Amino acid sequence: MTAGDKRKSSARETTGEDQDSPFGIWLSRGLHQLFDDVANEPIPDELLRLIEEDRNK
Amino acid sequence: MTFHDQVIAILPKLRVQALSLTRNRAAAEDLVQDAVCNALAAQNSFIPGTNFSAWMHRILRNRFISDLRKRRETTDIDDVPASSFASPATHEDSLALKDLSMALSRLPADQREALVMVVIQGMSYEALAEATDCAVGTAKSRVFRARRQLEAWMSGDLPANDKLRIKVKALRDAMDARRRAGQSSDDLMLS
Repeated sequence: MTAGDKRKSSARETTGEDQDSPFGIWLSRGLHQLFDDVANEPIPDELLRLIEEDRNK
Repeated sequence: MTFHDQVIAILPKLRVQALSLTRNRAAAEDLVQDAVCNALAAQNSFIPGTNFSAWMHRILRNRFISDLRKRRETTDIDDVPASSFASPATHEDSLALKDLSMALSRLPADQREALVMVVIQGMSYEALAEATDCAVGTAKSRVFRARRQLEAWMSGDLPANDKLRIKVKALRDAMDARRRAGQSSDDLMLS
């Protein structure tokens, strides 16, 4: 088993039994609805400018 | 990928981590910006080829803890209203989401962060441990305790808001009925 396989195995374990239960499925859906929008929002220009200014130093 | 490209690429994940810690969108945006400033200032300490994601998540987490210590001199993080943790009004139509948001806000910040990083970002326990600077067993325990605590609150196993318990029980019963009938229950989360 490679390190990558171990990581995948651990991720499956993490999201395995608990997440397959009715409550786990409900919780996962709810968390995605609460957090997915945040992840998908555009990055503020001010923050991008900050990073680009540092890159061009 | 350059250092700066990696910073830009990880911003969405940092936002999720920041919101899980602060429970407040405005505070989360500020925390991400502060963490990016810290990372840019410390970029020479990052060793190329090592785990950039874990390095960046640790910087954000350390900044959160540092800010929290400063703020505690004048206020308490638990004073932040739970409603500010939730998504915008468009999603607030869902009572179930409001209830979940409220229950999440009652969890300790480290458990909330661990649960969100595993469920939303699909992190393994090992990656979570590295990103939050703790042992793998501790990371696993935080996720486990967060799930169990939420389930207990929402199923009424422990004293909690009765209205919340009743609403969640009704939702879970409806989901179970749909599943038994082989029907989708996706729309229930939005009702």
